[in-house]
Amino acid sequence: MLDTTYNVETPEGIDLRAQAAGPVPRILAFAVDVFYRSLVLTGLGIALAFADRAGMGIWLVCSFLLEWFYPVYFEVMRGGQTPGKKAFGLMVVNDNLTPISWGASLLRNLLRFADFLPFAYAAGVISMTLNRNFQRLGDMAAGTLVVYREAEHRQTSLPDVAPLAPPRGLQLQDQLAVISLTERHGELSDARQRELADLLQPVTGKSDRAALNYLRAVGNWLLGGK
Amino acid sequence: MDLNRLAVRARLRSPWESIDLGVALARRQWWPLFVVWLLPAALVFGATSVWLWDSPSLAIFLVWWLKPVYDRLPLFIASRTLFGESVSVAGALRQFPRQNLRDWFAWLTWRRLSPTRAFDMPVTLLEQSSGAARSARINVLHRKHASAATWLTVTGAHVEMFLSLALMALIYLFIPEQVEIDWLPFLASGELWLQWALNGLYLLVMAAVAPFYIVSGFALYIGRRIELEAWDIEIQFRNLRQRHQRTEKQSARTVVAQLLLLCVLGLATMAPSGSVRAEAPRTPEAARESVDQILSGDDFHRREKVDGWRLKDTEKQEDEFPEWMINFIEWLESLGQDDDREDEPSSYGSLGPLIGGLIELLLWGGAIALVLYLLWQFRDPLRQGLRLRRRPKAPPKAAPETLFGLDVRRSSLPADVCAEVLRLWRAGDQRGGLGLLYRATLSHLIERYQFEFGDHLTESECAQLVSLRQQPADGGADEDMRPVSGTLATFVQNLTAAWQQIAYAHRAPASARLEQLCGQWQEVFADAH
Repeated sequence: MLDTTYNVETPEGIDLRAQAAGPVPRILAFAVDVFYRSLVLTGLGIALAFADRAGMGIWLVCSFLLEWFYPVYFEVMRGGQTPGKKAFGLMVVNDNLTPISWGASLLRNLLRFADFLPFAYAAGVISMTLNRNFQRLGDMAAGTLVVYREAEHRQTSLPDVAPLAPPRGLQLQDQLAVISLTERHGELSDARQRELADLLQPVTGKSDRAALNYLRAVGNWLLGGK
Repeated sequence: MDLNRLAVRARLRSPWESIDLGVALARRQWWPLFVVWLLPAALVFGATSVWLWDSPSLAIFLVWWLKPVYDRLPLFIASRTLFGESVSVAGALRQFPRQNLRDWFAWLTWRRLSPTRAFDMPVTLLEQSSGAARSARINVLHRKHASAATWLTVTGAHVEMFLSLALMALIYLFIPEQVEIDWLPFLASGELWLQWALNGLYLLVMAAVAPFYIVSGFALYIGRRIELEAWDIEIQFRNLRQRHQRTEKQSARTVVAQLLLLCVLGLATMAPSGSVRAEAPRTPEAARESVDQILSGDDFHRREKVDGWRLKDTEKQEDEFPEWMINFIEWLESLGQDDDREDEPSSYGSLGPLIGGLIELLLWGGAIALVLYLLWQFRDPLRQGLRLRRRPKAPPKAAPETLFGLDVRRSSLPADVCAEVLRLWRAGDQRGGLGLLYRATLSHLIERYQFEFGDHLTESECAQLVSLRQQPADGGADEDMRPVSGTLATFVQNLTAAWQQIAYAHRAPASARLEQLCGQWQEVFADAH
């Protein structure tokens, strides 16, 4: 089964997983960051234009700092998210899924130089595309990873059915599927939902509308309805 | 469409995650996709190079414009491999005319510049819908994924451009320094062969990027369908049904055996089942009451005790400097002024004496700390030199409450131990009597002679400890411990032996011996009462 999931097993035997983020959202996030940076630099340039050559010097220092330490600051101090990454729900983590540290962040950002070669981040894009976990060269050197920050589970309205205890022998995956069917009652077409419920006729002993209502009731029960 | 053969994990994905999945899919079979895209494109490229040799820009524009024609074969391969079918390059190329039949005109004219090309292509190619049905379908699909599909196209175009530039830069980097060419006029000259070389590079880059673009769009489409049609639920439900049917078959075989077993069990449990039922609450109200009672108990609650420091609501007592600090600073100043020569003008103004005083204080503090540190560091040699006795390091441990399972607290003993022992003995409880005597002995030893009997000691080891302290050591050690007299040591030995006999061998001593032990006990702990 092909997927983009990144798995880590802790010494305690707990599986941590995250969704590695690929080149397209990362390129777009980078573009957003470049946009913000150039906005700041333009504003600064206009403000410092009055200071003549000294202003020019200050502007150059600022652009240097912004180019190299803007990502480091945001990655370490703002939970692994530069403004661009935040816009796309991405975050940088160490490859054991712990929050990124100063050393790793500095390394991965200084090595943007390697990813830039030969021009316009070509090495970075190619490396990101070919790597299993979408890591660019700097990521591989620093042992970091860009993953999706899990979105908060939005509250969905549940169907108005009195909860019922589930039948015996439902495994975790089955329960999740029933819950998913209950939560998506507004998004899936009615016919499709009845078709899905019919699939379980040998288990539930009901069919069509009754089967769907029963599964919704079970879903409500599994979600803690009383 | 057999969902069980789906080669990717069916789950709800955000549009971006779907695109990433497409990148992973395309990476896995990039080579056939690349070849299948490049061959038709190269044919067109070759044809234009013959007919349009003089206008290379128009030629590459034509090649670029015909992209939807080449896009179809990679999409065909990707859609087949997604459901576990493998398609060879030759087999795919044979499909070329068939795949291009449908809607070719629309894709090459008004849909050519559609920003969601990769996302919409599968609707044409795989669902084969057209007209109003197609637009309705596209509307549904677009509802959530159109923006991601657009950004995918934008990103793809930019990646193509930047990779071409990078390829040129790479070639430039590899030209040795010795080759001295004046680049600007050379590039600006617009030589035909140079332009055709650049066109060739661009074609290669397009062919390299195209599989990722096409398969990402396809994955976006698949992601949207997983969401719309709940493929994830369907796959899981089918699994559950299969598992259920398997277990049904197994259980049918064993049902006869189970019936027999049930009969036997039913007969066996008939009688006690009545008494069990009698304890259960009779009415629903009673049941609810007992349930409420149990639910309100400790088992269903988690109690936490939280300790910590918190700010108290005390009024601020003083905002000003405390008196002692002012005095201290004044004292510091005076300290500095004392040292100042009167004829020497102070260059630091009024702060000079203060700083001087502070430094002097720091120096003094440092010196005192140094002396204290040295004293601490060499405390052992010093103590030996002064013939001071070493104090016990650890504070005395709390006296144990039980030893060998016996309660040795003083409070657990009766007022007159001996009388109680003899009473028990005569009542026939020989074990209890001797046990009480032994207990009382241990208790007194702990309390009055400060013996530390650890849990790890046996009875004999305790007795040994007692006799070890019999002769007071002539050195400095253990002088604060009360020495043990010879009679006490012998008594403890005898008593322990007698106790071990009765405790472990169940052999009671003679009554005369017990009375003798009691007499000895009163003698050695005479001052206890």
